[in-house]
Amino acid sequence: MTTVKVERAVNFQEVFATKAGAVYQCDREGCWYIDFADKLVKFDYRNLLKLKSSIYRVDIEMLLLDNSKSPEIEMVFICACNTCYILNLLQIISLKELLEGTFVMLELNKIIHDRLNRIVI
Amino acid sequence: MKDIMRIKCLLSEDIEALLNQQIKKEAHSSAIYLAMASWCNRNGFDYSADYFFKQSEEERHHQLKLFKYVLDMGGNAITPDVTGIKQEYATFREVFEDALEQEVAITQSFKNIAANCMKEQDFVTFEFLNWFMKEQREEEYKARRALELFEVIGEEGTGRWEIDKHVNKIKYDSETGAE
Repeated sequence: MTTVKVERAVNFQEVFATKAGAVYQCDREGCWYIDFADKLVKFDYRNLLKLKSSIYRVDIEMLLLDNSKSPEIEMVFICACNTCYILNLLQIISLKELLEGTFVMLELNKIIHDRLNRIVI
Repeated sequence: MKDIMRIKCLLSEDIEALLNQQIKKEAHSSAIYLAMASWCNRNGFDYSADYFFKQSEEERHHQLKLFKYVLDMGGNAITPDVTGIKQEYATFREVFEDALEQEVAITQSFKNIAANCMKEQDFVTFEFLNWFMKEQREEEYKARRALELFEVIGEEGTGRWEIDKHVNKIKYDSETGAE
């Protein structure tokens, strides 16, 4: 995984990072790489949105208040994506924070493009 | 950094979600009209049954129009689940009261999407919605006129038979609706 990261680092631009992980954008491939839970996973546009909705759907409050002895582990499986995350509650919170930041930065990037590059004179 | 999000899709996530909700509402509406057609047919109101079959087809057409728009713009159109359709009505009049309510709710829903498009300055979708806004004029008119027949003809005697015969002839050809 580390090799992949180094080889492609030149094409990567960090979108957002926290202590738990980071999201990089690769313009050439038109996709994102998420470095989280000791894995570097490639996500295209559709899969990134699917990951976002899967993580946002997790009811963190319910898991926190759950008194049963079931382990607080969620499997996040994205259809048509060759990976799955098996995350504990803290990791879910961290990934959610990472994705929230990422989408804010992507929105900001869109605003910058709209204001600077898409002005029709 | 490229704006991949915008390159892939014209719609914002919020507008895409609203359009998918509308797709579901149209599918629901189509199913309700089909249930109304079934009720009318079972109770001997054949002309009204035909009217509701046509309405059901129209709602399906609206659903597909929205569905294709979402896909054309690079979004994800979601096939909706349709459940909980009312199958029985207490009276002939109740069917038409529900039909009008249904249309009012659909109009309201389109107004809400349009308001959100304005807020986001998504004028492309706003323009697309114009067709539906115009369509809602006709739909509401027809539903309101059908209910009006209950007042002008009356349900006594052969009234319901008369109403049934006239429902299928309702047309919206007002000059305000002309192209």
